[in-house]
Amino acid sequence: MLLYLLILLIGGLLAAVGPWWIMAPVCFGLCFFLARSASRAFRISAWAGVTLWVGYSLYLHLKAEADLAGRVAGIFTGGMSGVPGIVVVAAIAALVAGLVCGFSGLAGAKMRQLIRRLPE
Amino acid sequence: MKLIRYCWPLAVAMALIYVFNRAWGTVPPLGKVFSPFVGVLQAARDATTEDTEIRLTGIRGGVVVHYDDNAVPHIFAENEEDLYFAQGYVIARDRLWQMEFYTLVAAGRLSEVVGDAALDYDRFNRRIGMARTATAIAERLETDTVANRMLQAYANGVNAYINQLTYQDLPVEYKLLNYRPEPWSPYKSILMLMNMRYTLNGGSNDPRLSNVLAKHGPEVVANLFPDYPAMESPIVPAGTKWPFTPGHIPPAPDTVADLPDSNPLALRIPEPRPEIGSNNWAVAGNKSATGLPILANDPHLQLTLPSIWYQMQLCTPEMNVYGVALPGTPAIIIGFNKDVAWGVTNVGSDVMDFYRIRFGDGGFEKYWHDGQWKQTVSYVERFKLKDGSEVSDTLYYTHHGPVVYHDERDAGRTRGIPVGYAMRWIANETDGADVLALYYLNRAKSYEDYQEALTYFTAPAQNFVFSSNQGDIAITANGKLPLKWKGQGKFLLDGTLPAHDWPGWIPQRHNPAVKNPARGFVSSANQFPADTTYPYYLGWQFAHPSRALRINERLAAMTAATADSMRLLQNDNYNVDAQRILPYLLPVLAGDDSIRRSAEFDAIERWDYRNDADAVGATIFEQWLADLRRAIWADEFPEAEHLLLPSLDRTLELIERDPGAKWFDNVTTTDRVETMDDIIRESFRTTVTGLRERYGDMTAANWAWGKVKATRIMHLVPNFTSFGRKEVINGGGAGIVNATTGTHGPSWRMVVQLDREWPVAYGVYPGGQSGNPGSRYYDNMIDRWAEGELDTLLFMKHAGERSGRLIHQIVLKPASKP
Repeated sequence: MLLYLLILLIGGLLAAVGPWWIMAPVCFGLCFFLARSASRAFRISAWAGVTLWVGYSLYLHLKAEADLAGRVAGIFTGGMSGVPGIVVVAAIAALVAGLVCGFSGLAGAKMRQLIRRLPE
Repeated sequence: MKLIRYCWPLAVAMALIYVFNRAWGTVPPLGKVFSPFVGVLQAARDATTEDTEIRLTGIRGGVVVHYDDNAVPHIFAENEEDLYFAQGYVIARDRLWQMEFYTLVAAGRLSEVVGDAALDYDRFNRRIGMARTATAIAERLETDTVANRMLQAYANGVNAYINQLTYQDLPVEYKLLNYRPEPWSPYKSILMLMNMRYTLNGGSNDPRLSNVLAKHGPEVVANLFPDYPAMESPIVPAGTKWPFTPGHIPPAPDTVADLPDSNPLALRIPEPRPEIGSNNWAVAGNKSATGLPILANDPHLQLTLPSIWYQMQLCTPEMNVYGVALPGTPAIIIGFNKDVAWGVTNVGSDVMDFYRIRFGDGGFEKYWHDGQWKQTVSYVERFKLKDGSEVSDTLYYTHHGPVVYHDERDAGRTRGIPVGYAMRWIANETDGADVLALYYLNRAKSYEDYQEALTYFTAPAQNFVFSSNQGDIAITANGKLPLKWKGQGKFLLDGTLPAHDWPGWIPQRHNPAVKNPARGFVSSANQFPADTTYPYYLGWQFAHPSRALRINERLAAMTAATADSMRLLQNDNYNVDAQRILPYLLPVLAGDDSIRRSAEFDAIERWDYRNDADAVGATIFEQWLADLRRAIWADEFPEAEHLLLPSLDRTLELIERDPGAKWFDNVTTTDRVETMDDIIRESFRTTVTGLRERYGDMTAANWAWGKVKATRIMHLVPNFTSFGRKEVINGGGAGIVNATTGTHGPSWRMVVQLDREWPVAYGVYPGGQSGNPGSRYYDNMIDRWAEGELDTLLFMKHAGERSGRLIHQIVLKPASKP
């Protein structure tokens, strides 16, 4: 839970100023120090990334004065799907954030394991 | 081994970042684009509505920009340079992507951002010379202090905005197409104008009419393609005396055409687009309720999002003007100030001709003209593609202009300009002073100022309508017009004959014009500028006269006119062609029992000739008119042979006056001879069958004109269909005063009621001030536009004026000295 909250907090703050992939080093670093296992590192990082990206996407969409998500999604779906645009946009955001954050967190945890075992 | 076991997730994570950080084909970088922190959804954030202060390098004094409740900026600057700087800055905030997109089109550089698919289009645009001409104009303008200062200040303002942008702030189109804006320059503003010239003038009937001449001979051409229509109501009222003695007009030579002798397929070129046209008029004080003139204008262009126009007010201590600007160019193009109002429609005179070039043996270096070999000038045009590769293309110029295509393989690929023909086009001969015409019109106080401003305008020639609060109304078909022999350029011309060169220019003061005519109004709807008494040849064909006839009929009958009378006329859906021809057609239909008893006949017989949104009769008539023309002409003028069809006016005249004409017989049926009545009835049956197939059986809902016409306002990138608006329900049509077709229509409707104290003006356009699809100002005017409403425009007297309509302000200040 602490790891999850820290990724949300630090990741969210840095994402507001950094490039889109800033979540990756955040997950890597936090999991390096805090992850209790590799699988938890992946799961928690991925969920935190998804929470942040989907959460902020939904927030922007709900506050928006026009259906921008619908218009953007229409370009990718050809406007044929009956799915609301924000669902498409959030799904892509979830896919990107989940994969990148998940593997970054996993990488951090694995790196920690590697360094711990080096002396032996 | 151990290293791989522990490090693979790191490799996967980095690979994923790489994959999501770049574009793959047409798929944009998904990481960047869909990150809510920097991607497209950033454009959904609330636009600032709080007062802000921005410090910018390049501002000298102070500028206040008030935004009203329609997101229209009202710019108050202490001096001219700051004003145009602020204009550039403010337009870029709302429309940066759009204005750069137009310049990429005109410069033939679209493939750099959208990919190979646009390469043919780019090649065409380079080959007609637009970018090269814009470069030459921009260089020449550097010596003109007024124009250059204005364009440079504007460019500095645009660049001040571009320099502030981070990826996060970019308009969504840049993110989705994965590129970034380039610095702006005066050259790019000129490109914008070139783009407009192409829109208004970039088509020709010469190749198609030459094909007719080759197939049917000169007598048929003279009969079916006359130099003046059967019905017309010219811009300068018939009977007006010309206040000048014409100069020498050369007689037509013996040979007036150079007929194609080879593959007629190579002779395709876009026809002038009939939907591109406009209405404008002004009524004098003796016809208005206030005793002072009222002016109206609605230019008809392709309906797009973002909108082609941008409303703004520009104010300095010396000037205060309101109207619409083209994103990318300084000043107001159509608008008004305290004393005067003006508007434009396209003249549409013949200012694009093609000359067949006889090249020397073995190449394109030499061509034969006036009994000697002359040297072409060649340029290598380079095209960068989206993947970074480059292709090149050689362009040859003769003294006529560019040889648009010289290779058979290129013909007919996108535009199919004649192979080996050089194009002489007015747009390539402008001197760039056009912006000065706008500069001076913005400041005009009287008729004399208007006249002076017009002398700077070159192309494409426009009918400038004018009115002042001193009571003057006027209209001038104004621009640089080639002086031609009668009929010159009606067909393809011979590039070896000096007699086929343009002999000179019509003196500007001889352009068709009229001031304060006795009838109490001036107007234009792209029809003939003058009747056959005008001494110069301007072209053999102008827009179909129906809009002009209707406008002039209504204005003539109008008394105590108000701004609302003007609005109603702009939205007039009366179908003049139906009124003209149905009395001839319906009795023929009624002569056939099966047709007379049909519900469709009943619908068109009871129709009131109005193309209203709910009119079923309009749907039947419009489709029938197209089917009838096809039924009359398709046999002698097969589509595959690229022949120009006789005009609608000539077709209607044949039905009215020459029902026995041989053209009514369908020559493809050898066993019988069809009469006009047969063709009328058969085409009606075709129409009914076709409509039933497409829209189901006739009901008031299925066949309603607004639904069938299905006006759509699409985004400039054709693939971005979801950024557009479809099924905008309204009336109108081609040839109707309310010229709204499926894809084109009134792109700005303005009505200005002049006043000695302060004018009252109204306007609306089918879009919104913002180019951002995440803004509520992206398309907020469309519904009001479709309903035929106009907004009351807020024309502020000074920066301190209080109005409940002002939402917020931006103050631009000089950057503090370091």
